[in-house]
Amino acid sequence: MKRRSFLKGTLATGAAAVAANAGLLTPSTVLAEWNEKAFKAKTVDDGLSAMFGTTSMSESGDIDLSAPAIAENGAVTPIKIDATKMDGVESIAIMATKNPSPMVCRYDFSGPAVGYVSTRIRMGETMNVVAVVKAGGKLYKKEQEVKVTIGGCGG
Amino acid sequence: MSIKIRMRGRAKGGVAEVKALIKHKMESGARMNKKTGKPYPADYINVVEVLVNGTKAIDSQWSGAISANPYMGVKVKANKGDEVTLKLEDLNGQTGEHTIKV
Repeated sequence: MKRRSFLKGTLATGAAAVAANAGLLTPSTVLAEWNEKAFKAKTVDDGLSAMFGTTSMSESGDIDLSAPAIAENGAVTPIKIDATKMDGVESIAIMATKNPSPMVCRYDFSGPAVGYVSTRIRMGETMNVVAVVKAGGKLYKKEQEVKVTIGGCGG
Repeated sequence: MSIKIRMRGRAKGGVAEVKALIKHKMESGARMNKKTGKPYPADYINVVEVLVNGTKAIDSQWSGAISANPYMGVKVKANKGDEVTLKLEDLNGQTGEHTIKV
């Protein structure tokens, strides 16, 4: 519990303290670093470059992205990404293009992991969902439009 | 108070699908409090880890765009009897941890 209060105290004092924090605690004791810049980015490109350092992606048919064509409730949109057909999957990220901050989540795989993720995300309006898969050092994507029908109007 | 987690998983052919339901409001920081005109402060889970027998398998970062009471389904290489652990932490430093045998 000491570490907890220590973290709280230092986080409050800003970015400099966060940097010091990272240096003081060894990676084995602290959970993974959270990429605040990528998650606060306002555009898809900004989010991508903050997260992966590049915005160039190629379309891939090997990514299996399943999302509803019409989501009745945008606050709970089930998304499933299956990249098990690809070799050397390092990470999977989900982006919702028109959300205030498009980067939704990122999963990094190592050791005993398999390239598969399913989750539920929030979507404000009808937009494209992009599955970004990093495999063998390259970025691949698969896009799908999800219609959000809040208020029962089929937009 | 730690974050409540419900977890289930079954190993089949060396791969286990693990599903977890987490009880958390996932306040994104964008929702306005109509009475005060100010947004509710953000409070969501941002760091998630999955371990198999203590070895790290998945490192995940979440944003406020993950639905309230999040569901997460992942697959890991594990055999029957292996232990799968889920660890999480939110913006306020609250943590949760749960281990199951697949």
